[in-house]
Amino acid sequence: MISFLGKSPELQLEKDASSRYLPIVIAAMVFLASLALIGLFSLHSAVQSWSSAVSGNLTVEIAYEDGVDLDKKMAKAAKFLKKFPGIEEVNPLSIDEAARLLEPYLGRADIIKQLPLPRLIEVTISEGSSVDLLATAKKLSTEVPGAILNTHRPWLDKMILLARSVQFLAAAIMLLVGVVTVIIIVFAARTGMVMHQAIIEVLHLIGARDNYIAQQFQNYFARLCLIGAIPGSVIAILTMQLLSLLAGRLEAGLISAPTLILEGWIALAMVPILVVLLTTVTVRWIVMGSLKRMM
Amino acid sequence: MVRFENVGMRYGMGPEVLRDINMHLKPGSFHFLTGPTGAGKSSLLKLLALSHRPSRGLLTLFGQEVSKLQREDLPSFRRKIGVVFQEFRLLNHLSALDNVALPLRISGADEDQIHTNVTELLRWVGLGEQMFAKPPTLSGGEKQRVAIARAVINRPQLLIADEPTGSMDPEMGLRLMHLFQELNKLGTTVVIATHDIELIRRFSSPVMFLQEGTLHHSGAEEYLKRHRRSKV
Ligand SMILES: Nc1ncnc2c1ncn2[C@@H]1O[C@H](COP(=O)(O)OP(=O)(O)OP(=O)(O)O)[C@@H](O)[C@H]1O
Ligand SMILES: [Mg+2]
Repeated sequence: MISFLGKSPELQLEKDASSRYLPIVIAAMVFLASLALIGLFSLHSAVQSWSSAVSGNLTVEIAYEDGVDLDKKMAKAAKFLKKFPGIEEVNPLSIDEAARLLEPYLGRADIIKQLPLPRLIEVTISEGSSVDLLATAKKLSTEVPGAILNTHRPWLDKMILLARSVQFLAAAIMLLVGVVTVIIIVFAARTGMVMHQAIIEVLHLIGARDNYIAQQFQNYFARLCLIGAIPGSVIAILTMQLLSLLAGRLEAGLISAPTLILEGWIALAMVPILVVLLTTVTVRWIVMGSLKRMM
Repeated sequence: MVRFENVGMRYGMGPEVLRDINMHLKPGSFHFLTGPTGAGKSSLLKLLALSHRPSRGLLTLFGQEVSKLQREDLPSFRRKIGVVFQEFRLLNHLSALDNVALPLRISGADEDQIHTNVTELLRWVGLGEQMFAKPPTLSGGEKQRVAIARAVINRPQLLIADEPTGSMDPEMGLRLMHLFQELNKLGTTVVIATHDIELIRRFSSPVMFLQEGTLHHSGAEEYLKRHRRSKV
């Protein structure tokens, strides 16, 4: 381990022009893997926050009807809902409140109030209780004609499915990046072996152990990878922060900024370490394999 | 020390370049190996240097049958053998000093020790001035001396030299032959492949004569007599 970053004294691999491109390739690979990982983890937390936000909240919509006292209908529906077990809070929105909600989209509140708007009741279900939403919805619409219970559930299911597919894609990208990295390293190590064949033979014949030779290759390639992996990782994190900033500006409830839980950060920090380890193991495997072919 | 019993050797699927080699070298002996070009001298030395395996027969080195050795054991055997390659095989990007230090570094010797031993030996072979020169900037004879220094730095038990004095003037050649003799007196078994009749005449050591892949043994006198006859 002392010689982990040590030079390769005999092979002088440092002078190879052919493997200098390697850090750039590794940086790109680590960047992609890190982004995929960030995607994986932030979708995970997004799904969780959607679920908790959505599952506790229902909206009852009372359709606009000309010449009907909507306030009365609202009160009736609210009263009806309050009787249900498991329902924690019923909050009928006044026409002013509804108008304020729409103001950012439609403009002046005083004009919005003139529009034939449906009226809304926010319903919060108490945590841990199971309300039969379908039954509640049915009863409600018979009791108060024109009242519709929106459960958000089908919408959430679709979003979760989408999120899961994207997560699957991210995992596939990471796997692909890993495979491509191994292939690149195999090529680079093979090229190095061929270029230094004469020196390797001499070292071998004067009694160098396979490990002595393999170590020089391992250290060299591990160092190249580290040189590439760290910037790749840093750029990925900066990209994430930039996206967070942009998403934060949007202030859209749905597109939350990519936030990482602790596990996410740990996994992200593991990416360069894993790439360096993967490289070391691959290089060792290649070099030891071809040394075995010599007497 | 070294024993060949009906040893044959071929390169890949090619024809046998060595056939039915039988020989026994006693510890501390000094031998010349000669024969026309292409006779297989370098090939025989490759067997001795543990760089190739015999394709048949038994080769015993340091009391161990080579084909029975584990791969892990070979490095420690090779460290007991010093080899001067016909084509030197120096590492071009390393200085003369580092080239000679290589066997010591590989066996994990102490850096200070390495430095003293290597500089002393390089001075002795007349390369005190070229210690930090890289092989491509050295003359043929100078490269050859670096190669010899690298072969003997570890005080090998077996020294193999392929045409070790071919690229230098007779005086320097003699000096190096005396180095080999000194080592031989200290117990090193020496095998030197050469075309140089003068050398064989002067050192009157046993001669192994390779012709068409088979080995003939004789004393120096006998060989020289035969050589004269064939010339006349
Ligand atoms: N690496 C190789 N692959 C295939 N054939 C080889 C190889 N090296 C040598 N030979 C063949 O083996 C035979 C013996 O070659 P070798 O080099 O041992 O001869 P030599 O006695 O050392 O000759 P010289 O005096 O010219 O050095 C030759 O016919 C040569 O063509
Ligand atoms: Mg030869």
